[in-house]
Amino acid sequence: MLAVVLKYRQAFLIGLQSNLVYRWNFAVRGFFSLFRLAVVFLLWRAAYASAPHIGGFDFAQTLTYFIVLILLQFFIGAFNEDYQISEEIRNGLINQFLLKPINYFLYRLTIFASARVVSGALILVPLLVCLPFLRHAIVLPHEFWRVGLGLPAMAMAALIQFTIAYCFGMLTFWFLEIQGFVILSMAFESILGGQLFPLDLLPPRIFHAAQFLPFYYQMYFPAAILTGRIAREAVAPGLTLQAAWLAILLGVAQLLWRRGLRRHTAVGG
Amino acid sequence: MMYYLRIWIAGARYSVARTLMFRGDFFVWALVELFWMAVNLMMISVIYGHTNSVAGWSEYQMVLLIGTSMLVQRLLMGFFWSSLFELGRNIRSGDFDFFLAQPGHPLFMASTRKLDPDSLLNSFVAIGIVVFAAHRLHLHPTAVDLLTYAILILAGLVIHYSLLVMTMSLTFWLTSAQGVEGSYFSLADFSRLPREALRGVARVIFVWILPVVVVSNTPARTLLHGFQPLWSLWILVVAAGWLLLAVLIFNSGLRRYSSASS
Repeated sequence: MLAVVLKYRQAFLIGLQSNLVYRWNFAVRGFFSLFRLAVVFLLWRAAYASAPHIGGFDFAQTLTYFIVLILLQFFIGAFNEDYQISEEIRNGLINQFLLKPINYFLYRLTIFASARVVSGALILVPLLVCLPFLRHAIVLPHEFWRVGLGLPAMAMAALIQFTIAYCFGMLTFWFLEIQGFVILSMAFESILGGQLFPLDLLPPRIFHAAQFLPFYYQMYFPAAILTGRIAREAVAPGLTLQAAWLAILLGVAQLLWRRGLRRHTAVGG
Repeated sequence: MMYYLRIWIAGARYSVARTLMFRGDFFVWALVELFWMAVNLMMISVIYGHTNSVAGWSEYQMVLLIGTSMLVQRLLMGFFWSSLFELGRNIRSGDFDFFLAQPGHPLFMASTRKLDPDSLLNSFVAIGIVVFAAHRLHLHPTAVDLLTYAILILAGLVIHYSLLVMTMSLTFWLTSAQGVEGSYFSLADFSRLPREALRGVARVIFVWILPVVVVSNTPARTLLHGFQPLWSLWILVVAAGWLLLAVLIFNSGLRRYSSASS
């Protein structure tokens, strides 16, 4: 057991180093996500000018939701893991893992974790710089249970995000180009994952249906727990469904890996 | 002029032939773009499900604004995006050498190499959205309004093109500018906002210094409220100024270009 932990610990440390090489890319991305936040701020401020409450929440609460969303994106979101995995398969780099006692899924997951440590730390810089301006706009609920239940929801959301990206990467075994699939899925995620607007603003029927899809648990669910958009009694069923989706996705990932390897041809040395 | 047109037509023919070779790709990308356009419209519909007005704009006025902003962006994607996106990579890899050897100004050659027929197809969808919104608003624009709208869209295309050229030219200095294109998209997001939503410093920056907001607002207002002489003139001046600036930045970057070792 200890040997296994030590093995992936090394992968984590290497991942940390190689992601630090891209620190400026993450920093630039973080800086531009503030532009996105500015668009969100201007649009919703204009919308709130004619209605003090939208969906039962005021402007500060909605803005807090979007700020938490940015934090979550950098701490638990999958960035370009699908593309990296796709490149490793296409260029034959996965061949080395087939000959070593290392699980490719766990290896990529470890690299994902190290990348999120770096990107998460880097988003804090621009957000702290903006804190004097945002201070009055941040309204977090004071219930402690929200942190206690929000953390497992965040952990599972991170695993769901990574596993979906992993599955898209696996498609490279069948398709030469996966970019189209990835961007199509991003469109689904942005609308059904609550990245464009809090999902509770959807018409009730659609909102209810969205709760049965995996996208809901990728971002909106933990963000809603932390920002007070979900009542306590709805959290436990949510966590159960989230765990169910995680199990399904892990199963699909394993299936794609096994089936994909049967099609894979390793060439050269 | 005719000479450049002939070069452009040759490039366009190559792109169409290439699209016909990869028909599956064409459909996937056309679908992806269509879906993203629907996502933007859905956001508007959700917001207006809870309020009647955003910065004084009604729901269909906002749809008209978003349709206009999409139209400019689809045209940019269709005519220039693929070529300019590759420009950044080619500068880094040294493949940009080939463009220097081609018989035309390197900026023209590098920005018109590829067309994206899927984006051009979706620009008709964007026009459809504008027409639909105009119909719901019972608008009856005159021929002059329509002509002004078309000219302003073209001026908007020039402004967006210039912004993208400037962003991509950064690669001459940064070498590894992976993700710089993201900065263009962050700026383009502002073009979906009504001008009235911006106040104070934001108004100065995004209306006057970086004209991304007026680019979509002025043509949309022309359809909604008729010809806006001062704003229209301002857009034309800005388009000329930004294009000049983009060419200057590109040229000065070009002087730094030292190719890459093989």
